Amino acid sequence: MADGSYFLLAATFLPLLLAPVSYVIGRRSGVNATTWFSFGVLAVSTGLLLIPSMLLYGGQQIYSESYSWGYFGNFGLRLDGLSLPFALTIYILCAVIAVYSKPYMVRKIMGDRISEEDHGLAPAEALSGYGSGSSSTGISNIESGSQTTVLESQRYLNNQSGLYFALYLAFSMGMLGTVLATNLIEFYVFFELMLVPSFFLVAIYGYGARRRVALMFFFWTHVGAVVLLLGLLAMGFFAGGFDYTTVKENASKIPAEWMTLIIFAIVIGFGVKLAAFLVHIWLPHVYTQSPTPLSALLAAAMTGIGAYGLLRLWMDLLTANYAQYSLYIELWGLVTMVYGGAMALMQDDMKKLLAYSSISSMGYIIFGIGSSSVLGVTGATLLYVTHGLGKAILFMAAGSVMLQTGTRNMSRLGGLAGKMPYTAVLAMIGGLTVIGIPPTSGFMSEWILFGGVLQTGVAQMSATKVTLFAFGILTTVLSSAYFLWMYKRIFFGKIPDYLANVRDSNRYITVTMAVLAALSLIIGVYPDPFLNPITSYIKGMFAGTSDVLPTPSQSSSIHVTSSQANNALPATQAQALVFVAKEKSGS
Amino acid sequence: MVSAGAVGFEGIAINVWLIWIIPFVGAAIMPAVARAGRRVLNYAAVGFALASAIAAASLISFGLSGSEVHSQVSWISALNLKAGILADPLAIIMTNLVGWISFLIMVYSTGYMHGDRDLTRYWFFMLFFIGSMQLIVLSDNLLMVFFGWEGVGFASYALIGFWYHDKKKDYVGVEGHKAAGVSLWVSPTHAGMKAFLQTRAGDIMMLSGMFLIFAYAGTFGFKELIGDQSWAQQMAKQNLLVPAAVLLFGGAIGKSAQFPLNEWLLEAMTGPTPVSALIHAATMVKAGVFLVARIGPLFFALAAFNMTQFFEVVAWVGAITSFLLASQALATPEIKKVLAYSTGSQIGYMMMALGIAGLSSHFVDGYTAGFFHLISHAMFKASLFMGAGALLHTVGSRFMTDMGGLRKHMKKTYIFMLLASLSLAGAPLVTSGFWSKDAIFAAVLESGYSYSWALFAMATIVAVMTAFYTFRMIGMSFFGKESRHIEEMEKGGHHLHEVSANMWVPFAILAVGTIAIGVVGFIFEAQIHQLFSAYLGQYFGIHQPGQESAQPSVAPQGNRTFFNLNPIAAAASVGAFGVGGGLGYVFYIARKADPAIVSRNIITRGIWKFLYNRWYLNSALYWGSVIAPITAYRFVWKYFESAFVDGINPAFQYSMVYMSRAVKGAQTGITQTYLFVFGVGIMIVVMLLFL
Repeated sequence: MADGSYFLLAATFLPLLLAPVSYVIGRRSGVNATTWFSFGVLAVSTGLLLIPSMLLYGGQQIYSESYSWGYFGNFGLRLDGLSLPFALTIYILCAVIAVYSKPYMVRKIMGDRISEEDHGLAPAEALSGYGSGSSSTGISNIESGSQTTVLESQRYLNNQSGLYFALYLAFSMGMLGTVLATNLIEFYVFFELMLVPSFFLVAIYGYGARRRVALMFFFWTHVGAVVLLLGLLAMGFFAGGFDYTTVKENASKIPAEWMTLIIFAIVIGFGVKLAAFLVHIWLPHVYTQSPTPLSALLAAAMTGIGAYGLLRLWMDLLTANYAQYSLYIELWGLVTMVYGGAMALMQDDMKKLLAYSSISSMGYIIFGIGSSSVLGVTGATLLYVTHGLGKAILFMAAGSVMLQTGTRNMSRLGGLAGKMPYTAVLAMIGGLTVIGIPPTSGFMSEWILFGGVLQTGVAQMSATKVTLFAFGILTTVLSSAYFLWMYKRIFFGKIPDYLANVRDSNRYITVTMAVLAALSLIIGVYPDPFLNPITSYIKGMFAGTSDVLPTPSQSSSIHVTSSQANNALPATQAQALVFVAKEKSGS
Repeated sequence: MVSAGAVGFEGIAINVWLIWIIPFVGAAIMPAVARAGRRVLNYAAVGFALASAIAAASLISFGLSGSEVHSQVSWISALNLKAGILADPLAIIMTNLVGWISFLIMVYSTGYMHGDRDLTRYWFFMLFFIGSMQLIVLSDNLLMVFFGWEGVGFASYALIGFWYHDKKKDYVGVEGHKAAGVSLWVSPTHAGMKAFLQTRAGDIMMLSGMFLIFAYAGTFGFKELIGDQSWAQQMAKQNLLVPAAVLLFGGAIGKSAQFPLNEWLLEAMTGPTPVSALIHAATMVKAGVFLVARIGPLFFALAAFNMTQFFEVVAWVGAITSFLLASQALATPEIKKVLAYSTGSQIGYMMMALGIAGLSSHFVDGYTAGFFHLISHAMFKASLFMGAGALLHTVGSRFMTDMGGLRKHMKKTYIFMLLASLSLAGAPLVTSGFWSKDAIFAAVLESGYSYSWALFAMATIVAVMTAFYTFRMIGMSFFGKESRHIEEMEKGGHHLHEVSANMWVPFAILAVGTIAIGVVGFIFEAQIHQLFSAYLGQYFGIHQPGQESAQPSVAPQGNRTFFNLNPIAAAASVGAFGVGGGLGYVFYIARKADPAIVSRNIITRGIWKFLYNRWYLNSALYWGSVIAPITAYRFVWKYFESAFVDGINPAFQYSMVYMSRAVKGAQTGITQTYLFVFGVGIMIVVMLLFL
């Protein structure tokens, strides 16, 4: 408890408070000003987040701020080894993508406006998916237009971009609040708060049948959230309070049959958010039809919050039944991985491919969460960070290609590597991150994750789990396949004639992508800044249970095995002893 | 016998770190250097490779004295993992081999790639490739090895698909050639993907093996693993030790293009020729052999847990691959592909030797033989590839049928390629290829393994085929009449000429080197043998039988000197050269017989077709792992995702609309209807109450 400091409070609410300001700035001073203002707000907020993070690196376990909240208990914000990676990823991505948004949204907004005027149609019908194609003609129309038209479109652009950034800031706030919350009700409020601005962002700035898609997005995630709310309420009432601390202390008071129901509600609620297999209905449409900066944020930051929810509300607070159900979670994760990967292979639309790839990646995270080992869960948490970086880069690259070529159909693209070298290189780094190839950060998270899964498999002598592992790791080949094939279709091969004059995107786009790519490489080579807090927190989280495997360590196994060496114990028994002894020795 | 540099970046250890860091740094600054012009760029790239090689050379004296450098720094502290380098004699020999051959290939590249538009990208990946390979060689733990492992995989992907515009001239294979519905005519980017995905299949096996070991040992470090073997005890109890070892070997299968993951190597010929040379001689495929050489002694030292099965797998995979690929090399018309097949086949020899080492009590014999063959193969294969590149460069075609009679035009290329070819074919007594192959034969014969006769028979047949296809290659490209292609070129005003000095000098050096080693072959072999027996004894506790004390004496250990060559092995190897080479000579050099006789007989024609279609392995692979899954996915996409899952939303929507319509229909606004329904309802309720 750090008294008298408001870092997290400020970091969370600064964007919300300043969202109207960014709208006004947009109206008054134009798109440049509001872009940089929003970026500034998010950058400052990220800085505010970094200050307490340093305390955590200094060895402190938890940093939290807490305020009384009447009936619900306390309204608190807390940073610990679990929320730190999520919080930092969210704000770093939000800040970087804010800058990226500028050129993209200018094109998008003006393209929509022109098509609306030209065809007298709502842009939803006018642009059947490929908005930026008409945007290039749109720009030339503006240039040839009369003075008043120019002024008018300028005003329109200012208004729209102001609105965009205002919503954008509110959306960022919602995501951060969710991961910092310390109270079930607070969690739910933030969880829904991030949904509302993103709904409007899709509905106003999307492609295709954007209003329908936005409704669908809202509907499905809301259904998930309501199921979740039922679970949260039950948790709170049985535990006698909504604060995490209260719930954690009194988790044992929850009757066993209710516990099952609560966990079921939590898993379904977050399953929808994570777009796991069978409840992934909303995701491909939303990611495809959102404006690309938003797709990047949704894919990279928002969906993964479901993983945070599972970890925090189930594994951290309740702990119950985790080892028991882990196999099913793992299986669900595996099916999601394979399914997402396989469907990604079928796509011709870049963004849809990336959407299915996100489903697959969320499958990896679920797979890791279901491993019931410290390693696996650590890997899953780190995978949120690395997938965030990688998928954001890929979506941004897709946006860059769309801006320059006006299409996102891969069958109409090809050979762009030479024309768009920066985009191509950065997309490759992003792709390697997603498919987990060193030295990108993707590998760091994936090896830890899969190591954990196999560790449980062999420690429990479970053929099922080992088989799951085998299929899981085989799926990484599938992931490589869809990425490489996508890359080949966009960047390799012959350049179609009509793309002969394509140039690379401007610095707003390439530099922001490069920042994320650099982060990915840094974490990939030296993961300690993220991995240390995560590992130590997750170790602590599972310290009480004997069902969850600790990380393998050299020193402990030496002692045990030397004492066991001469006893001809049956293999399973000896193995069980090894792991018991490992737990006792701590790390 | 000192172990220097225990911690950090100090003393000689810094050189070891630099060996692999320098190429990476070089790669990273290539885009910046490119601004200074192409000349500077070339010099800088070659300079970085040279600097790395010199750093490697600074370790030679260390290695020869049998000492090692081991230095660690903290890395992933959350999991107690350290980054470290380990330069023991094995690594020191390998790093020099890699460093210097790569340097020569880089020099060669300045000539070969002259005028290419994407030079920056080329140098970037070449340096990245070298750095990754050096990382594999010098790492002290499996996790870092894996970094390098994927690094070479990625670099090879990028370089195989270097000419990414997929122009027809950059394809590999004969246009329109299909086997069982699968095209064997492949574009560069396709080949790159294929290489990446196939080696990835091996990599996941390796990862699984690593995880198994990590779960028990809590470490990836080679030193830690050999130092405390309790993990192995635990694993052996659960029968997991052999699977873990075989899984690790799976990585080597993928990377070294061994059966059944051998197919990528042949399409890898779409890359620029220096890349092929690098992949085949110094980096990439040698990584697999090196990995086995790295972990082989470790597992042999765990002999108490009965690791025979592991070594059997290694030996047989090697033997099968060497046979498979040597046979296919007989039927291919492309010069680079002959060399590619031959690489896979020769790597198979090395694997066989390393496997047989573990099956015999004389571990050192097989181990030395395998590693010696690695050295000699690296030299002659790099030389041959660069020579082949010179031919391609001049003739402008990858087909040997487009060459012919070139020995008059390209005298230097001819001479040096001939020398290197003799080494590949195993010309007796004067080539390093002869000695290393002979050592493998002897190791197999003397192993005492119950099926060593079968391995030996296969190895001998492979040697015959090797000599034959080598002579065929030389004969088709340098002898006989000039092909129509060349005649047309000359008619068109092209004058065939020798390549520039920065191209022929590198392969000349290597070709002469392989002969030089060959001349003193038995002494060289004895030296390596001695070095390795000291190394294995000191670090792994593996001794020759009857030499239990860890006192390596000065005299060569074991029984392999010139004066007691294994007579059967020597006879087989000389005989194989004679038969295979002789046939090759008759058909392709002297041209006394026409190779077309093959097509006159239905059986030989069938065999030829079978070999030409690559045993249909590639087709089987595509049908099984590409076409079948994609068909299944398409089915799921069509009937599940598009129809069912995507149908949920509209179904939901329309059912809502329908329900609202139904409810709406009831709201007629006619009072009579309402009253009627109300009355009926009352009556039903009353009846229910009273009945």
